[in-house]
Amino acid sequence: MEESFGALYIAYSIVWLGVFAYLAYMYLRQHSIDKDIRSLKEEVSKHVK
Amino acid sequence: MDKSKLGRIILVGAAILMLLTTYLAVIYVPLPQTSVKSADKILSSVEGSRIRVAGFVSDILNLPREFNPAQVIRFSLADFSDYQRYLAAAMVDQLDSQWWTVRPIDVEIYEVPKLMLAGIVDGPQDFIKGTNLSVLARVMDKGIGSNSNVTGFSLETSSWNDVTIGTSPGQFGIMTAPVAQKIFYFHMPSAWVSYLAFFVTLIASALYLKTRKIKYDRWAFCSAELGVLFSTIAITTGPVWAKQEWGVYWRWDDTKLVTTFVLWLVYIGYLMLRASMTDTGTRARVGAVYGILGFVTVPMSLLSSRVAPLLQSSHPQVIASNSGSLSPEAGMTIGIAIIAFTLLFITMLIRRVEIAESEEELEELKRTIGGED
Repeated sequence: MEESFGALYIAYSIVWLGVFAYLAYMYLRQHSIDKDIRSLKEEVSKHVK
Repeated sequence: MDKSKLGRIILVGAAILMLLTTYLAVIYVPLPQTSVKSADKILSSVEGSRIRVAGFVSDILNLPREFNPAQVIRFSLADFSDYQRYLAAAMVDQLDSQWWTVRPIDVEIYEVPKLMLAGIVDGPQDFIKGTNLSVLARVMDKGIGSNSNVTGFSLETSSWNDVTIGTSPGQFGIMTAPVAQKIFYFHMPSAWVSYLAFFVTLIASALYLKTRKIKYDRWAFCSAELGVLFSTIAITTGPVWAKQEWGVYWRWDDTKLVTTFVLWLVYIGYLMLRASMTDTGTRARVGAVYGILGFVTVPMSLLSSRVAPLLQSSHPQVIASNSGSLSPEAGMTIGIAIIAFTLLFITMLIRRVEIAESEEELEELKRTIGGED
């Protein structure tokens, strides 16, 4: 029975970690893109001036 | 309402439903009963009563060649995860412990055991390793292992003809690992959402080829990426359950498992192929054709357990056929889990498409600046 509970914990952890890892990946990716876009736009506006 | 705010609300809703699913699966849904009943409960309820057990001799050292009535012996009773495979292996003398686990059980023999091999019932014979054994016995010790079952017994029988041996423990209403069965409430919705994601990829790819609008390519790619995420979850939680239920993590001769693995590889290939291309138009065109052709693996995986009698598969057919039976509690829990995963997929897909749009905006900006320089 203990072995079965262990398997249950492992499987549920895979699900939750998998989903949260992907959500975290999306958040970080968006954050990084927004930062890059902001800095590029700032650079462009400096050149325009 | 603001689109991102709506997305956040749906995401929170999906998360709440997933938490609810976890609670229902672990606490609310009782251990599999009726069709799937706890082996421990069965064994404690039959302790002291006569049961007919069917197994095979796995250890001849402790087994006398001749039985005396009322003799108490201990023999190993097999948990057949797949009796047909066992028989096939027995016929070619290639028995090993791959397809079953063996538990010791103390029984009091009431009748001289008879032997069955390959379905032929003979009179008492010498026992050899791997010989199929059927015996009317009384359980003397319920302690045959907390995570074990007795596959193929019927209560209070008096005729040898009552012995039934099936192709899986589930056929006898017994799960080898009733606790691990709760993995089903996340494993199956993950697989379902991956099929849905690949279907979205198919539709978006077809729309791209028809209209050549890049937004459809974006949807196809993002959906495929999420499909790979959820199929990875399904393909990793499945073996964790299989190890408990079947005794092995994986079976390369099981059609459901192999076709699902192929499906997973095909869409990994889709992502890798796209990553290797730099030209947007070529990438979208090749990706769309691949996304359409690759979808053929989805019905292959989805329907492989439905045609299990024709193609070897021990994978449960709960949703893929009308032969599955779930208790109302289990049905409600799996329903909520499917809604939760579907909502989660929709919000993640919308968010992922927004990120892809931002990525393209960034690339465009870089190209513009590069061109000006």
